[in-house]
Amino acid sequence: MGHGIVVQNLGKRFSAYPSDRPRTIMQAAMGGFKRFKPMNAFWALRNVSFEVQPGEILGVLGHNGAGKSTLLRLIGGIGSADEGSIRIRGRVGALLDLGAGFHEDLTGRENLMVAALIGGLTKAEVLDREKEIIEFAELESFIDNPIRTYSTGMGMRLAFSIAIHTDPQLLLIDEHLSVGDIGFKAKCIERVKYLRDQGCAIMFISQSPKQVMELCDRALLLNRGTVAAYSDPKTVVAEYEAAMHPDQKPRLPQAEAPILGQKIAITAMHLSPSAPFHCGDPLTVELDYACLEPLPDPIFSVRILHESGAVCFESNTHSKDCHEKVSPGSGRIRLQIDRLDLNGGKYFVSAGVHSKNWRQLLEYQDKLAKLVVEPTRVVEGLLHPPCVWTADEPSLALGRDTAFADESTTTPEASSV
Amino acid sequence: MATSSNLPQQKRLINRPWTQRRDLLVGLVSRDIKLLYNRSALGIAWMLINPLMQLMVYAFVFGVLLVNNSVPNFTSFIFSGLLVWTWFQGSLTEATGAIVHNRALIRQPGFPVAVLPVVNVATGLIHFLMSLPILLIFLWIDGVVLDAKLLLLPLLMALQFAFTVSLAYVLASLNVTFRDTQHTLGVLLQMLFYFSAVFYQVPEQYSHIFQFNPVLILINGYRAILLAPEASAASFSWVPTLVLFAITAILLPLGHRIFQRQSERFVEEL
Repeated sequence: MGHGIVVQNLGKRFSAYPSDRPRTIMQAAMGGFKRFKPMNAFWALRNVSFEVQPGEILGVLGHNGAGKSTLLRLIGGIGSADEGSIRIRGRVGALLDLGAGFHEDLTGRENLMVAALIGGLTKAEVLDREKEIIEFAELESFIDNPIRTYSTGMGMRLAFSIAIHTDPQLLLIDEHLSVGDIGFKAKCIERVKYLRDQGCAIMFISQSPKQVMELCDRALLLNRGTVAAYSDPKTVVAEYEAAMHPDQKPRLPQAEAPILGQKIAITAMHLSPSAPFHCGDPLTVELDYACLEPLPDPIFSVRILHESGAVCFESNTHSKDCHEKVSPGSGRIRLQIDRLDLNGGKYFVSAGVHSKNWRQLLEYQDKLAKLVVEPTRVVEGLLHPPCVWTADEPSLALGRDTAFADESTTTPEASSV
Repeated sequence: MATSSNLPQQKRLINRPWTQRRDLLVGLVSRDIKLLYNRSALGIAWMLINPLMQLMVYAFVFGVLLVNNSVPNFTSFIFSGLLVWTWFQGSLTEATGAIVHNRALIRQPGFPVAVLPVVNVATGLIHFLMSLPILLIFLWIDGVVLDAKLLLLPLLMALQFAFTVSLAYVLASLNVTFRDTQHTLGVLLQMLFYFSAVFYQVPEQYSHIFQFNPVLILINGYRAILLAPEASAASFSWVPTLVLFAITAILLPLGHRIFQRQSERFVEEL
């Protein structure tokens, strides 16, 4: 079919100018023109190569300032590359600046027309789709009011709706897949999937690993303008999450090959007791692994997350100074937690393996097991450790809260619910 | 598949880029006009009131207070100059901010940036066209008889359009590097206005200096077409106009290139 994006060895350099660079004709005339020379230059992107085929979605992950937006803009033809090449075929649709060209004083319908013309449609095409666009944005009763009366969400919905109705063959989305409320977000994602099925090549920036795992066929992790990982979403998301916690683990080295040959695999995870689990119970996590190459001092990690994504607990063999050499074959490693004072709710357990000194992520299994903690009496918060209220003032008659202190009284009544 | 039924579709596909450009231009111009007159009570009437008020002032000052001119059909004479000047000045001032004030549009993939100054000049053209009937009324009152030269009017307007756009390309590009270009331009235009013979006739002994003013060349052209030939035809020649045409033919592609480069630089600025 021939649509798609091919990026090879892309490099983009930005120049930093002296802060006293002349900004007006007066200043230039008085200060001379020598200060127009750039002071120094830095590479916002370097050696970036990847491909997006028609009908494929590529997710782009990375820290703030990693070069994600610059990359999307270059592909959209805004600015020119200093190195390498970008080859695109087909019409580009983009959600880079939502609501570009919207004018406060004009009505939604007037803005819709102008924005869609800017997006590359002809007038006849806009008139054909107007109804569909308004319906998708759920703005039927507001469309003839000026945009200045709209809420932020309404404006974004309109902008999003216009952008995805311009039949792009390449679609670039900059962190806008989280527009509006949950219902609208789901609709946007449906639409993106539909466009993909129509043969559209899609690239989107996301800060949500979950979204990348759900939507993408491949993912790209940028770190300071270079490709830190380019592979299937699962591998890249694991790298991303590892890189997001620099306090615990050193930054992933940039020069290493992003895709790792599988050296070790976690084959199973057992939790005991599996169910029912009550607040304050001890927990044992057992990992079965299959090792393919001898590994010196690998680091095993176990992480417990709340269903909201909050990390409640993490432990690894590195911090416990339990070094060992793992030789090929299958084996089992055990983590024993003496008591786990988690509040009632749903939790997930993830596990990963790093090579010696956190140098490489070798294996990562996200949310391998589910841990359901039986409901407790207090509803707020993630922790529910035993605690006691006491008062020094004799007038305050605060007694000992039996339900808090005595686990044996809590458990039967809670589990009977 | 029958080729005959396919033909209109194919034709539409081939023409699509042009249709799109045209629709975009029309859409942006009509948005500009709507924005200008949307929220005022008199609405679109302002388009006419503005030059008429100016005309009243000049006609009163130079036609009643300082009556030392010998220009025939004085009202038509001023009004023709005033309309041409207003179009030139208004659209050039607006278009100088074309890059700096449209960051969001320039950052839209596939947006033809070079259309922006054209939009400004086209908006000015709409104003010009709306005021033209009033000028015709003044001509009729002054008893001027129009002749076949009127057919040259669209050509002259096209020249003014192209000349203003090419100048706007250069100035808008300069405005990216020096943000005070727009203010400086205001002062310079004020000076140019007094050298453009809007409300007087250029004295014979200075005409060799004045002939370097492109706006005056344009105004003279309009007057030669619209006003009775005997008013200014004696010394009038089309040569400066042709020279201006040649200059525009060079400046337009050059300005376009500079504009394209500067707008690219502008979006990359941090």
